[in-house]
Order: sequence, then C-alpha cells, then structure tokens
Amino acid sequence: MVPAEYYLLLSAAMFCIGLFGILTRRNALLFLMSVELMLNAASINLVAFSLQWGNLTGQVFTLFLMALAAAEVAIGIGIILVLYRNFADIDVTKPTTMRW
Amino acid sequence: MIPLQTSNTLPDWAALAPAIILAVTALALFLIDSIDPNDESPSMLAGVATLGSVLAMVVTGWYLVAGTGMPRTGGAIELFSGQLVVDGMSLFFTFIFTSVTALVCVASYDYLSGRPNQAEYYALVLLAATGMSVMASANSLATAFVALELSSLPSYGLVAYLKNDRGSVEAGLKYFLIGAVSSAVLAYGISLVYASAGVLELAAIAEALGAGIDNTGVLGVGILMVAGGFAFKTASVPFHFWAPEAYEGAPAPVSGFLSSASKAAGFVLAFRVFVTAFPLDVVAGTIDWALAFTVLALVTMTLGNFAAATQDKVKRMLAYSSIGHAGYALIGIAVLTGTADQSYALGASMLHLFVYGFMNTGAFLFVALVEYWGVGRTFEDYNGLAKQAPVACFAMTIFLFSLAGLPIGGGALSKWALLSATASAATLSAYLLAAALIVNSALSLFYYSRVVKAMWIEDPAGDFEVSSYPTGLYAAVVGAAIVTFLLLPAFGVVSGTAFDAAAALF
Repeated sequence: MVPAEYYLLLSAAMFCIGLFGILTRRNALLFLMSVELMLNAASINLVAFSLQWGNLTGQVFTLFLMALAAAEVAIGIGIILVLYRNFADIDVTKPTTMRW
Repeated sequence: MIPLQTSNTLPDWAALAPAIILAVTALALFLIDSIDPNDESPSMLAGVATLGSVLAMVVTGWYLVAGTGMPRTGGAIELFSGQLVVDGMSLFFTFIFTSVTALVCVASYDYLSGRPNQAEYYALVLLAATGMSVMASANSLATAFVALELSSLPSYGLVAYLKNDRGSVEAGLKYFLIGAVSSAVLAYGISLVYASAGVLELAAIAEALGAGIDNTGVLGVGILMVAGGFAFKTASVPFHFWAPEAYEGAPAPVSGFLSSASKAAGFVLAFRVFVTAFPLDVVAGTIDWALAFTVLALVTMTLGNFAAATQDKVKRMLAYSSIGHAGYALIGIAVLTGTADQSYALGASMLHLFVYGFMNTGAFLFVALVEYWGVGRTFEDYNGLAKQAPVACFAMTIFLFSLAGLPIGGGALSKWALLSATASAATLSAYLLAAALIVNSALSLFYYSRVVKAMWIEDPAGDFEVSSYPTGLYAAVVGAAIVTFLLLPAFGVVSGTAFDAAAALF
C-alpha cells in the first residue's frame, strides 16, 4: 500500500496550487477552478484516509463534497453572469464601487 | 407542557420540527410562486414566509420551555445515529435564527415592494435559516459542513439579489469568492482532522484523539483550518474582509439577516465543535486553540471598532461594528481554559449573540427603512430625521445605545456577563480581553452617538419629506426595539436558559 504521507503531500500540493491560483488570477472563472482544486485536495485526503482507517466515512463525505462543489459552482456562475452584465467584464478586481 | 423525549408522546424526529417547518415553508413558497408566477401582490409570499418563521420560533420556544433535550428531561436527543443532536444550545440558537428570520420577512414586505423574484427571495431566506438551524444541531463534521453550505449558498444569492445594482452584485461576488475559498479551507481542515482521527462524529473525534495520535502537525493544521472556516461564517479576522462590502452592498434586510443570524450560526458551530471534538485537555499537546481565539478576539474587536469609527456611511459603520461584536462573542470561547467557569463563559457569549440578534437586526432594518425613504447613506443624510420619524428614530437610538453597552437594552447586561466571564478566568490573557472589551465599547459609544446626534440634534440639510410610513418595516423595527428593551428587565429569564444549555455541553 502507498504510505499515507504521499497522499498528504499530493493533496497539500494541490491545495497550494489552488491557493496560488486564487491569489494570482483575476478571471472569475479561473478563480472558481482554483477553488475546485482546493476542494478536490480535501477529497483526496478523505478517500486516501478512508482506505487507511478501513471505514467508509471519508468516501461518503467525499460524495457530499462533490455535490456541494457542484452546487457552489452553480451559484458562482449565476453571480459571475450578473457581474458580466453589470461590469461588462469578469475580472474580479474591476468591481470597486465600495472602498473604505 | 410535555417534555419531548423518547418516553413521551412525540417521536424523536419531532425535535427537528423548527428546521422542518422552515424547509417546508421555503418549498411552499416555490409552490405558490409556480401556481401564480405573475402575482404582483407580495402579501401572500411575505405572509407565508412570516407565518412559517414565527411558527418555527413558537415551536422552538415551546421546546425551550418544556426542556426538550435538556438534562432535566433526559439529556440531548441524538438523531440519525448521532449525526444531529438537539439540546438546549441548538434550541437556544434556533430561537435566535427563527426570530431574526421573522423580523427580516416582515420588514422585506415593504422593502421589496415592486421588485421581481420575491418568492425566490423569501424561499432563499428560509432555506438559509434551515441551514442555520441544522448547523446548531450538527454533531459531526460532515453534517456541520453540509449545513454550513446550506446556509451559505442561499446567502450568496440573497446578497446579489438586486441584479441591476452594481453595489449588490459586487457585494455578492466578494461574499461568494471569499465564502468559496473559506469553505475549501474548512473542507481541507476537516480532511486533515479525519486523517488524524479516522472519524467525523464530534464526540468520537475527542475519543480518538484522547487515545493518542501519531502526527500532531497534521492535526494542528487541520484544527486551525477548521477554525478559519468558522471565522468566515462569524466574520472574524482573518476571514472578515468580505463583511463590510457584503453588508454595505446587500439589501439592508439581508445585511441584518447575515450579520445577526449567520454570525450566530457560525458561533454555535464553533462552540460545539471546539468544546466537544477538540477539548483543550485532549489536544493540549497539539495546539492551544484558546490562545489562538484570544488573539483572534483581540484583533477582531479592535479592528472592527477602529474601522467603524472612521466610516462616513452608516451601513458600513454598522458592518464594521458587527465585526467588532464578533470579537466580543469570541471572548466566550477564548477564555475556555481550566481556570474559567467554562459554562458561564460560553453562556455569556450565547447571551450576547441573543441580544445582538435583536438589536443589530433592528439597526439594519432601520437602515432599510431609511433606504426605503430614499434618504442618503452617510451620517449627514440622517440629519434631523427624528423630526419626521420620531418613533423609528427612538427605536434606532435604543439599538445603538444597546449595541454600545449602555443600560437601555439587553446589550449592557450581556457585555457585563462577558466581563464577568473574563474575571472568572483570572488569567493575563483574560484580563487583556476584558480591557479590550471596555476600551472598544467606549470607542463604539463615540461612533454610535454620531448617528444619534445626527438624528436628534442636527438640523436637516435639505427639505426632505418622509412621504409614507411603511407598516411592515415599522412593525419590525419597533418590535425589535421592544424586545431589545425588554431584555434589560427580563435578562434573567434568558440567561438561566443559556447557562443551563451551555453547562450541558461540558
């Protein structure tokens, strides 16, 4: 069996790539994809440790996670759509009507 | 009164009745909308939404009085093999959520008049409230995450409800982006906790961690990330920066809903998870989360209050003050060390969130009323408002002074309870928290008074006429003011319940 540390490293790498994408990308759709990457990093952990611990809790929770990620994207696309209608762009740094 | 327990007349699942009522009401709204989608009169929708939330509130109140899930009737009711639990704390918080929902639904009747998609608005409010009441009952990290998303996803839509208003869309975008990131952080934190413990039920996690773990680093990072996910929901540092934008851009009733109910929902989850799953004596070798929360509380209340003092828009000032109040409520979890009277500290936080639910929602609903009249957003625009609308301005004065902690509403007593909690802990960090609470409350009096001064003392700048007195908004504002005031003499009634509910957790 592949040792658990490798899964942790893989998922940590994926999480960091996602985080990097969020911090550097300005396109709202790429932002969504980066978030998806972070959620999938969590799923890798859950599935890997589900095998490690010999129970199905992690795998079942992964199913919930995937469904929730899909729901989140559905809402996100809706918001990005009205963003485009109002600002004619999906650059997340453009909307700055409120500043302190 | 028949206590709800296995041996009694009602079945176990009836303990979830408040959440079920809220969900059914939301679905009923969609049904009504699909039967007559072009109905221009919103009274039916607002009426059903209000009725549903009031019914859920009454049922919750009845359970609280009857002692459902409390030690005196046989202890917490566990459902779905321990995934959900109904006890004093979950009912106490569900009461906050349902009463805030009722106030918001009543106020939205006027605020939304003439706008499209009203059925969706009310349904989303009720679905978010359903998610919050499940959050209060969540007894496993899996249900906690699902419930948190159920309350978050409708909230994103609600903030961006004014589709043609750039501010609202921008607020919705920022809320969504930060919410998506923080839910990913929470999910990753949960996966790390699962990696260490191998289970997701809260009590089982504490058991597994108590038996010894191999990799404390993984667990420590996991716990910190879980805390980060909750910080987003409670609008505390470091995930607070969505709050000013989201609250300012959102329709004002939604701002009130999010800053009171949604914040309380984040707190109830944090209380239950950290007290049940990660007790300090079990995870002591890994991470001292009391210290982390102490730092977060100090930074959150200071940042919130100082930023609020520099604002020139009333709604944004209230948004920052709401961050400050998250810092106050964090005190209850920050002082949960061995020396403190733990159930008292937790109870004090619960009480503050309870009072805050009414006074803060009321303040935002007053802003909704002002937006309804078309008055501007800055402090100067509020000048002389009391000459035209003395009743509403009097209610607003009660909210603001109660938020500041003056003995005109329940806010004074809940802050006093928080101070006593820090005194009972009697450690250096607790005294620091107490000092920060006092200094920040004094500072908050300054910027709250600016609104009061503008309303009552300053002369109006232009020749502004209040043309109408909307019934729904007035009813909600005055109702919230009466409850805020009554919580001063009747504080003992609520505090007894809160301390009992908190004690049952330890």
